[in-house]
Amino acid sequence: MKDFMVIFLGADYGEMGLSPEQIQERMGKWFAWNTKMREQGVIKSGEALLPGGKRIAGENRTVTDGPFVESKELIGGFYIVKAADYEGAIKICDDFPDYDLGGVVEVREVMVFDQ
Amino acid sequence: MENKLVDHLFRHQFGKMVSILVRIFGMQHLETIEDAIQDTFVTALKSWKTQMPENPEAWLTTAAKNRVVDLFRKINSEQDRSIKFQSGISSIGISEMFLDHQIEDSQLRMIFTACHPDLNPKDQIAFALKTISGFSPKEIATALLTPVDSVKKRLQRARKTIVSKNIEFEIPQGKQLNARIDRVMEVLYLIFNEGFHSSKKEILLRKELCGEAMRLSTMLLKKETLRNDKLYALFALMCFHTSRLESKIGNDNEIISIKHQDRALWNMQLIFLGNDAMNNAVKDNYEFSSYHYEAAIASEHLRAESFKSTDWKIILKWYRALFELQNSQGTLLNIAIVHLQLQEYKEAKITLDSIDVNGMAQRSYLYFATMAEFHHSTADTKLALENIDKAIELVSNKFEKKHFEEKKAEYLMRNI
Repeated sequence: MKDFMVIFLGADYGEMGLSPEQIQERMGKWFAWNTKMREQGVIKSGEALLPGGKRIAGENRTVTDGPFVESKELIGGFYIVKAADYEGAIKICDDFPDYDLGGVVEVREVMVFDQ
Repeated sequence: MENKLVDHLFRHQFGKMVSILVRIFGMQHLETIEDAIQDTFVTALKSWKTQMPENPEAWLTTAAKNRVVDLFRKINSEQDRSIKFQSGISSIGISEMFLDHQIEDSQLRMIFTACHPDLNPKDQIAFALKTISGFSPKEIATALLTPVDSVKKRLQRARKTIVSKNIEFEIPQGKQLNARIDRVMEVLYLIFNEGFHSSKKEILLRKELCGEAMRLSTMLLKKETLRNDKLYALFALMCFHTSRLESKIGNDNEIISIKHQDRALWNMQLIFLGNDAMNNAVKDNYEFSSYHYEAAIASEHLRAESFKSTDWKIILKWYRALFELQNSQGTLLNIAIVHLQLQEYKEAKITLDSIDVNGMAQRSYLYFATMAEFHHSTADTKLALENIDKAIELVSNKFEKKHFEEKKAEYLMRNI
């Protein structure tokens, strides 16, 4: 089994004007996905990220305020999941709830260094 | 971890929070308030993705409270004097506003404000669905079969009127109270009927509208100073109708008439609840209202074991009483239909002839369909066909149209 980082991009709910009922429906889908992954034991960890943020760059450690990219490319959060290969990881992402809102999932394999 | 949210949690929470915050900050800030609540919901959606809180409702309430603090800070930092507390509410009183009984009180105030006589009736319904029930303009538009833009206009007009006329955010007292409760009941009745009677809606949406009307009625009934026999009768009526909702809609979303409904699908629990409410509606010095009669009619249908054993005589009596009270053309038509069921053709014809078809507007096709049925029953196929053709021409719902076409075929069969 390998670890994969599943990164969620786009779909900024704040700008979409979802109704309370739609928010609830959306949340139900996230819970369902989360529960499924837990039951299958494939999820290792995950976090949601707030919009905004800071960026530090240059020798002077210059700090700039976010956001840094367009909202459709904004990283909203990530999970670390276990899968045999990319194919397995992609299958896990089948239930990602926000495809219909233009959300994108990026799957990256976590590198393992030889000891 | 329990992964299921209470149905409509966000929608109901939205209604609660709007009411509380309006009570604290005033109606003139309604839009800011709605945006702020929306923000807390979006935050919840994001942060709950990985871990749902143990008590989502409490989480949302705390988040809303924090928003109040945010708005406070806004006053201080931006010197925004446009945001002020309503008189009589101090910062100490704010926490109290979030207690259960105060939340309900705020929501009742919102219901009564939405039904203020200065507001246009159509605006009242849209405004109530938005601020009390947490429907979005788009959802309201779908529910009321109205373009989104007109819903938005109605909401805007309602907000403006409330602010410009300085309508108090309160439950009126004394004489005013009775008149206002009557209007509140009318609005609830209309919301309910939108759900129950429109044939153009998805079953889900129908259930939601009926459910909202019932939820708000229950909220009123809980308050001793507000409940009265009319309100009980209205609630009974809603229970009786809703008990048939499942059996009323077929697989293709078509309307199944009571004659062909599967009576085993009727919801007994709701019928019991309705009976209970009806008992309360006829206690002490009650006065018969249209809700009483309509509930009595609905209950009579539920009592019959089969369509055949329906007691049409009693139903006729209630319809007549209802007509005395309301003088509505629709009720007259129902009286004619009952006469047909009783095979009292002479009376049916007299009643049908007294109906002002123009007064029935979009429902005039029902008049022609009934007229057709009368002529069919009295073996006048030519007139039966003439009338059913008119009904087919005027009806817009495709399932009803299909039903009339089947009727027409039946009439033609007779001719052969």
